Amino acid sequence: MTQAKKVSKSKLWFLVHSWLALPLWVFVFFVCVTGTIATVSQEIVWLANPAVRANAPSPDAQMLGYDAVLEVIEREHPGTVVEFISRPVKSQFALTARVAYPDATEASIYVNPYTGEIQGSTSGFSFQQFMRALHGWLLVPFTEGFSLGWYIVAFLGIPMLGSLITGLVVYKRFWRGFLKPRLRLRQGGRIFWGDFHRLAGIWSIPFIAIIAVTSIWFLIQAVLFDNNISFSTFGVPPIVAREDIPPVEAGQPPPGITLDRAAQIAQQTFPDLEASFVSLPSNAYDHISVGGRGAYPLLFETLSINPYTGAVEHTRRVSDRSTLELVTGSMRPLHTGDFAGTWLKLVYAFFGLLLSMMVFSGMLIWTKRTAKETVAEVKRRKSARAGRAVVAAEGGRSA
Amino acid sequence: MSKVIAARTERTASKAPASGVALKWKRWRFYLSALVLIAPLAYLPEYFEDLALSRGDAGLGQREVGEFAVGPWSVRLAEWQIAPPEREGLAGYVKLFTLAQCQECIGHIKAIYLRVGEPRSLRTAGSLFSGSPYRQMAEVLIPERTGPDDEMWLTLEGWDGAVHQARVPLSEASPSTVQWLQQRKGRP
Repeated sequence: MTQAKKVSKSKLWFLVHSWLALPLWVFVFFVCVTGTIATVSQEIVWLANPAVRANAPSPDAQMLGYDAVLEVIEREHPGTVVEFISRPVKSQFALTARVAYPDATEASIYVNPYTGEIQGSTSGFSFQQFMRALHGWLLVPFTEGFSLGWYIVAFLGIPMLGSLITGLVVYKRFWRGFLKPRLRLRQGGRIFWGDFHRLAGIWSIPFIAIIAVTSIWFLIQAVLFDNNISFSTFGVPPIVAREDIPPVEAGQPPPGITLDRAAQIAQQTFPDLEASFVSLPSNAYDHISVGGRGAYPLLFETLSINPYTGAVEHTRRVSDRSTLELVTGSMRPLHTGDFAGTWLKLVYAFFGLLLSMMVFSGMLIWTKRTAKETVAEVKRRKSARAGRAVVAAEGGRSA
Repeated sequence: MSKVIAARTERTASKAPASGVALKWKRWRFYLSALVLIAPLAYLPEYFEDLALSRGDAGLGQREVGEFAVGPWSVRLAEWQIAPPEREGLAGYVKLFTLAQCQECIGHIKAIYLRVGEPRSLRTAGSLFSGSPYRQMAEVLIPERTGPDDEMWLTLEGWDGAVHQARVPLSEASPSTVQWLQQRKGRP
C-alpha cells in the first residue's frame, strides 16, 4: 500500500516536472539560445570585426593615457565631444569611446590603446545590444517602467527553478550520475535523449540554479522598480558646488584638471582599484567619474572627482553597500558571467548551450514517452477514484 | 513523434471519433508558446526607430520646436518624443526635451535650464541640460497644476556669469503635453 503510494507520488512529481516547461518549451528554448549568444556577443564581434581588437605594435608597447586618446580624437575628428571612455578589462579589446559629433549624432568609436588609431565605429547598430534586448525583453520597448517583455522573460525563472527541483526529486539518487555517467548512444532516440537530459542536468545544477534565481531576481527587480520601492543606500547624486567653479572671462575655456590627473587621483585614493572607465562631466556641475572593479570583482566601485579642484567628492565602494545591495547587485553579473574574463564567458556559453539542449531534449522525451504516461496516469487515478465511489462504470467511460 | 500521435489517435478513435481540429490541437498545443516570438518581430521596426532616435540619426528629437534667441545666444529646442509626459515614479510627470547650442555659442554657455513657469532665481531655474553642446537633454517636471496656456522658461548661464532668459509657450514646445493636460482636467 505505502509502496504504491510512493510510486504514485514520484509519478506525480514526474508529471509536474514534465508539464513545467513543456507548454512553454519553444519560448524557453528561444530565450536560452539568445541568452547563450548574448553571453559571448562581445567575443563574436571581436571575431567578426578586426576594429574592436587591440593589437599591440610591439610586445613592449605602452598603453596610451586618456589625454593622449582625447588628443587623437580631436585631431582626427575636430569638434568631437568625448563622453565616456572604457578600457575593457580584457587586453585583447580596443578602447571604446562614446562620442558626440557636431551633426548631433552619437557613436561608439574603437581606439587602439597603444597607437591611438581610430580603428572603426559602430554604425548605430550594436550586435551586443541587440542580442541583449532580444534575450532580455523581446525588443518590447521600455516606456513607463519596465518593459512587458522583461516581465515575460524573467517569469521563466520560476518554471526553470521548479524544473530543477522536481528534476532532482524524480531522478532517484542523482549523485550516482556523477560517479557513473551514462550516455547510451546506440539504443534509440528516447534512451539517448533521456540519458543526455539527466547527465547534462546534474552537471548543470549550479548553472541552472544561478540562471533561475537571478532571473527571478530580475522579475522582483522590475516589480520593485515599478512600484517605486527602493532600498538603495546611494543617496543624492553629488553635484559640483557653484563656488568651486572659477569665474571665466568670456570666450576662455574653463580651467580644470586633465583626465590623466583624474585617473591618477583615483589610483592614489584607492590603490587596489583597477580603473576601467572614465565618464566625462555631462554638464558644468557634473563630476568626472572613474570606476572599475575592486577586490570583489562582481561590482563596480566609482569615484566622483571635482573637475575644477580635483577633490574626490563622492565614492561608492563595495563596503559602502548594504548586504542586500551586495546580494542583489551581484545578480546581474552572475547571470551574464561577464566579471572574470573570456574563459568564464566561454564556460557560461557552454552551459547555456547545454541548457538549451536540455529544453530541446525534454521536449523530445515528452513526445516519445510522457504523453503516453500522462494518459495512463490520468486513467489510473480516475478509475481508482471512481472505484472508491462505486461508480466504476461511469468512471471508466469518462476516462 | 508520429508514432506517439498515431498511438494516441488510435486510442481516441476507439472511444469517440476525434475531429481533425482536436487532433491538430493535441499535436500543436505545445508549440503555441512560439507565438510569444511574434513580439520581437512586431517590435523590430520600433527597435530600429528608437535606435535611430537615440543615436541622433533621426535629428534632435521626434519633433523640432524651433530656434530661440536667448540674449546673445541661440538654441534649437526639440521634443524628444511626440508623446504625453511620462510618470517618473514619485517625482511626478516629466517630459524630455533636447537642445542644441548655436555653433558660435559653444564654449560660452556654462549651463542651460528649462522649467514650466517663471523661475524665481537661478537656483530654481529648472532642469539642467546634460550632454554635448550638439545635443543635450533635460527631463522637465510638468507640475499637476500646469495650465495649457503656461509658458516654459529657458535660462542660459554663461561662463562669465551672464544670465539670459527666453519664454516658449507650452503649446508650442509640446502640443501633446497640452492635449494631455486638457484631458486630465476633466478628471478629478
